[in-house]
Amino acid sequence: MLRVRELESGYGPMQVLWKPSLEVKKGRITTLLGPNGVGKSTFLTTVFGSIKPWGGKIFYEEKDVTLVPTHKKVEMGLVLAPEGKHLFLNMRVYENLSMGAYVKKALAHKEESIELVYSLFPRLKERKNQLAGSLSGGEQQMLTIGRALMTKPELIMLDEPSQGLAPLLATEVFKTILKMKAEMGLTILLVEQNAEASLDAADYVYIMHEGVIKAEGKSEQIRNSSEIREAYLGV
Amino acid sequence: MRKTVQRYYPLFPVFAAYFILFLVGKNVSGMWQLVSTLLFYCALGQAFNIFLGMTGYVDFGYVAFMGVGTYGMAIAITRLAHVEALGVLIVAIGFAMALVMAALLSVAVGAVALRLRGAYFAIATIGVNEGFRFLIEGAKIWNGSDGMIFTAQLNQILGRETASALSTFWADVIVLIIAVLAAFVTLFYMKSKIGYALTALREDEDAAVVMGINVTKYKIIAFITSASFAGLVGATSWALKTPYVFPPEVFEIHYTIEAIIIVLLGGAGTLLGPVAGALIYGISKYYLSIFLPGFQLLIFAPIIIIIIILFPEGVIGMLKKSFRDSTLMRFII
Repeated sequence: MLRVRELESGYGPMQVLWKPSLEVKKGRITTLLGPNGVGKSTFLTTVFGSIKPWGGKIFYEEKDVTLVPTHKKVEMGLVLAPEGKHLFLNMRVYENLSMGAYVKKALAHKEESIELVYSLFPRLKERKNQLAGSLSGGEQQMLTIGRALMTKPELIMLDEPSQGLAPLLATEVFKTILKMKAEMGLTILLVEQNAEASLDAADYVYIMHEGVIKAEGKSEQIRNSSEIREAYLGV
Repeated sequence: MRKTVQRYYPLFPVFAAYFILFLVGKNVSGMWQLVSTLLFYCALGQAFNIFLGMTGYVDFGYVAFMGVGTYGMAIAITRLAHVEALGVLIVAIGFAMALVMAALLSVAVGAVALRLRGAYFAIATIGVNEGFRFLIEGAKIWNGSDGMIFTAQLNQILGRETASALSTFWADVIVLIIAVLAAFVTLFYMKSKIGYALTALREDEDAAVVMGINVTKYKIIAFITSASFAGLVGATSWALKTPYVFPPEVFEIHYTIEAIIIVLLGGAGTLLGPVAGALIYGISKYYLSIFLPGFQLLIFAPIIIIIIILFPEGVIGMLKKSFRDSTLMRFII
């Protein structure tokens, strides 16, 4: 569904991505694992178009989207739930969700999408009239994912959804991610540092280190290779 | 049908304010001068609010659009005054010129500056009006620093009486009409997809991008709209009221700052805010300069500071917040 070939990008004179390649298959959860500062978020934002790629190619559903602007990608069914949340803190929960249904096809299904998000995150339904800024960290994370779902995506990219959450809440987030795949048929590209939990959820895993893909495989393969675990994951 | 009408309820208080202002000016002797200033501030605030209020970007070069609009009117009148058949139509042509020139300048400025965010945008725009002024003076465009005086041409084509009625009364009425139009456009934007996109980008530009909003496009729309209205205000309040134009006067950054104060006092991004801000600012400035001439700025500064501390979101912004769910709020946005 999404194919990235030898992507290069960075900030100013500093190159961050050194030609990583990656493929996301339809209906699967693909995880990009790696510690802090190896370029995982840069990878996602470059694929999404917020940062212009310096080189390499990005294909979405066999179409070359390397230079397609971000808002067009959202219309094509690709969405990013960004790191650090970026919610509209002065708006209520349901207003945040409504804001998500901006593109045409999403607006047409706004009400059902909201119901869908509420069924996925019952907590958000309970708090729908609360200001987003007054939510707890976990709830804000749910709202970020919920708002991304409002765009009616086919492929959702999640940037560290478990970041800063208590272990119990993190487990809950991963459960929801599995539900999104099973019940909604979504394809998911997950970026994580939390190796244990994301290995459990993933179908296929890529391991990134210093802007390069160092290893890849089905999640059992990665889990069973003590070499990879020790070298890159520290577990 | 009912819903469509309800959408436009918030225009009532705005129109009411303008109506009262107009009546007071017309019927109370000696008030027209103050009312004319207030209408100018209202129109200025309402026009600037479309950009500053809706996008959250501060444009320090805003007065340049008013200046260019003034030149648009001046050029139309000086170049076409010999065509007797035009009559009052010359003013309409002047407005068209003002609109086009302000819009063109805003496209040029916006295409470069709107790629920057927040403070960087503000810094980039500071130089716009100064740069434009020096360009006109240095390159001797449109008579350079000699400016343009077109009282004679205006008298020639409109007749002395009409020309004087235009500058003392009708110009102010046109400013009022521009303010009303700007309010209408503001509300139309707020209630449409444009407002939706602009709200998202004002609150969090990164989030707006993630939602599939083409932020650059909407920033440019707001910028051009706002600049076009500024051009019209300049063409009326400056070119028609005082039929001359000198670069240092129409590119004076002071007016940009007044516009910023008006919008922030009243409440950025609200419909009624610029009107409230213009009235507070205009009236207090006027009376302070009468009762305490020479000291008005000294007293005015602390007043503004106090209002900003008490109402960080502006007077109307504060009202909106405190009465979020009441019926009153159907009329105030």
